[in-house]
Amino acid sequence: MGSFKYAFRDAARLIFRHWGLSFLTLITSMAVFYLIGASVLLVLNTRHIVGVLEGELSIQAYLAPEAASQDVALKASAIRHVTKVKIITSEMAMERLRQRLGSRQSEALALLGENPLPSSLEIWVDRASSVSEVARELSLYSEIQDVVYAGNLAEKLSKFSRFAGQFSLAVLLVAVTASAVVLFNTIRIAVYSKEEEIGIMLMVGATPAFVALPFVVQGVLLGGVGSLGASGLLAVSYSGILERLKDLLPFLPFLEPSILLAQLGVILVGAGATVSLVASLVAVETFTRRAMKPL
Amino acid sequence: MDIRFSGVSKIFYPDITALEDVYLEIPKGEFVYLVGPTGSGKTTLLRCVTREVAPTRGQITVGSFSLRKISRVDLSIFRRDIGIVFQDFCLLPHLNVFENVSFVLEVLGVPSREIKERTGEVLDQVNLWRRRFLYPPQLSGGEQQRVAVARAIVNSPSILLADEPTGNLDLHTAEEIMQLIISINALGTTVIMATHNQYLVDAYRQRVVGIKYGRVVRDEKRGRYDMDGEL
Repeated sequence: MGSFKYAFRDAARLIFRHWGLSFLTLITSMAVFYLIGASVLLVLNTRHIVGVLEGELSIQAYLAPEAASQDVALKASAIRHVTKVKIITSEMAMERLRQRLGSRQSEALALLGENPLPSSLEIWVDRASSVSEVARELSLYSEIQDVVYAGNLAEKLSKFSRFAGQFSLAVLLVAVTASAVVLFNTIRIAVYSKEEEIGIMLMVGATPAFVALPFVVQGVLLGGVGSLGASGLLAVSYSGILERLKDLLPFLPFLEPSILLAQLGVILVGAGATVSLVASLVAVETFTRRAMKPL
Repeated sequence: MDIRFSGVSKIFYPDITALEDVYLEIPKGEFVYLVGPTGSGKTTLLRCVTREVAPTRGQITVGSFSLRKISRVDLSIFRRDIGIVFQDFCLLPHLNVFENVSFVLEVLGVPSREIKERTGEVLDQVNLWRRRFLYPPQLSGGEQQRVAVARAIVNSPSILLADEPTGNLDLHTAEEIMQLIISINALGTTVIMATHNQYLVDAYRQRVVGIKYGRVVRDEKRGRYDMDGEL
């Protein structure tokens, strides 16, 4: 208990002794974890949007007049990646058209006489990237006259989702490394500033763990508070940006901030504390190991 | 704790021989002067006892500890039983007298009430209680050395190593420090003191170990500083 009291008191002393450096480290870790949080939000939103759109992406396969819709539906459902097939009879298609046009315009449909709309199949696939492949296969069937699908959109969505994931991973790696290096250097400077004191501590019998504790507390405080600040900043900015995005792109389903940001905050603070714990441990351990090594 | 050097040699890179084939036994509670010219190996010998220096050859045992292979945690535990007084004091300038001494107990995890009591007692012993709130730069050389002695003995070590503890002091202050060290030895603490001070060695007769070129050249029960003009 006494050791922890000493460690916290000494950590506070270290932070205030190098307040300029501590402040810079705090700002850096805040910026780094903000960047990490923002890229995580980008990935989560992209995946969510792609997922929702994928669920809505379907292929319309228009059948030849003589085709047996049940048989074609069975064949279609056997294609790889197809998750669901729905038969739309010509009557159902007419009814849909009627509903879409509304009561006044739908009266015009009576002028058509016989129903000109063909029967069709509505086909859903497991993911956006499979849409083109399934559509190509369907177009080979002689019972199918025409295939309509949001071809390029599906592929682009899929590619963007992949790119966002890879980009965020790269950001994550660079940011975590940068944060660890900054924290490592800050702790190392603090360690060297107390070189004489540490030397005496080790000579009078302080264990390496006791010597390391204040520096580890200092690192975890800087990293933890930095990432906590980043979480707060992220919560404020995400809510603001989300409002604007909803106005600009009302048709895209963005993730709501409530639980998402709380969870992200916990993860960021945990990551901040862990990265700084490891960085400070490495910095101080390297020093004490060398200091205790006999000549 | 008994201290035993068995055939200890230390060669610093590339080929500087600091100690050569040293055999030495220091029983518990003994007072030993290490005398010899500058660079003869006195400090290296003291630093071997704290394992700041590892011998190139030979074996050192201190009590139940064999210093050849000792883990970092065991080394910390071992060092808790050794007090060190450096020639240049090695006080922490940003801590006051009280903090410089109590710091040792704090490091060892002693409860705060006990820290206050023991630090108070030892500052009384070295006659510095009234100066406890002063910082090292505000003290005279003799006072700084007394703080260093207080720090070395506050955790009641079994061994006190003193490397030229009177080197920077005038004769009167040197005698004060010497009497303090003698009184600590009288309580059962083993003392090894490296010194150039002929007057003190001759005035306070104890065992004298003479070192020259890293070798023990004499070892006398109640010796003098410069027997036969050898040292």
